[in-house]
Amino acid sequence: MNKEAFLLRLREAMAGFPEDAAESSLEYYGEMIDDKMEDGLSEEEAVAALGSVEEITAEILRELPLPRLIRARVKPKRRLRGWELTLLILGFPLWFPLLLAAASVVLAVYIVLWAVVISLFAVDLSLAAAGLAAVIYGALQFVLLKLSQGAFCAGAGLVLIGLAILFFFVCRASAAGAVAAGRNLLLGIKSIFVRKADKNESID
Amino acid sequence: MDIQLKRGLLEVCVLASIKNADSYGYRMIKDMKPYVEISESTLYPILRRLEEGRLLTVRSAEHNGRLRKYYSITEAGRQRIESFLEDWKELLAIYEFIRKGGGTDE
Repeated sequence: MNKEAFLLRLREAMAGFPEDAAESSLEYYGEMIDDKMEDGLSEEEAVAALGSVEEITAEILRELPLPRLIRARVKPKRRLRGWELTLLILGFPLWFPLLLAAASVVLAVYIVLWAVVISLFAVDLSLAAAGLAAVIYGALQFVLLKLSQGAFCAGAGLVLIGLAILFFFVCRASAAGAVAAGRNLLLGIKSIFVRKADKNESID
Repeated sequence: MDIQLKRGLLEVCVLASIKNADSYGYRMIKDMKPYVEISESTLYPILRRLEEGRLLTVRSAEHNGRLRKYYSITEAGRQRIESFLEDWKELLAIYEFIRKGGGTDE
């Protein structure tokens, strides 16, 4: 791919992005290609070294704050006409609950994600607590000279504590997974906004 | 390396690469290369973030009949490097303690 084709593809991939963000990244990547070519690379090599357009746009999208994306999309490009404004106000009972519902769904997904993590940790904590209690109870039985009962309880307690330690690593992995899933969710929401805007523009 | 840690490190590396003289994107990547690999798509958001935080400023200047963006460090950027170095001095002392296993004999 040559420079022109690459920049064209990049521009198309950023069709729904805020205009200034798209413009400045196009300048940046154009300059990179020029500098690489000045350094002795061929045009094709310089473009290939930049990686895929998808990677580049995902990286830019990750950095753009969601409110800014929404503002860039929601802000009308011209003054609203009278009837549009009336429709917007009359439609308020319709679109506001829908908006609220969408936001609640996203919030619910986040909460569910963390609820899973928290309950896993709770299970782990109760395993450890039960194990500890059993060990102490077993020791008490020893003192009372109920040797076989004591040995059984203490042994079971140690097994529970061992399980708790192993299970802790599962919990930690789930927390890391929740963080990653949360990030991907945000990226997904952002790309919905960008894509929607894309369609609107082609209708105009 | 931990991704969050690496991110913070790269920000300071970028600032360090313009500490003594203004530079442009491609040269920053080349200057950093012996120490840390950074791709073009990683550098870009870092530059934007540093610019938004006013740790560096950008100007366009002509070069070979085209425009190239040059980045220069601000006072706040220099302070950022200083505080990074201060923090790491403390961390290095802790590192030494850990490495030696520094409990004292009674």
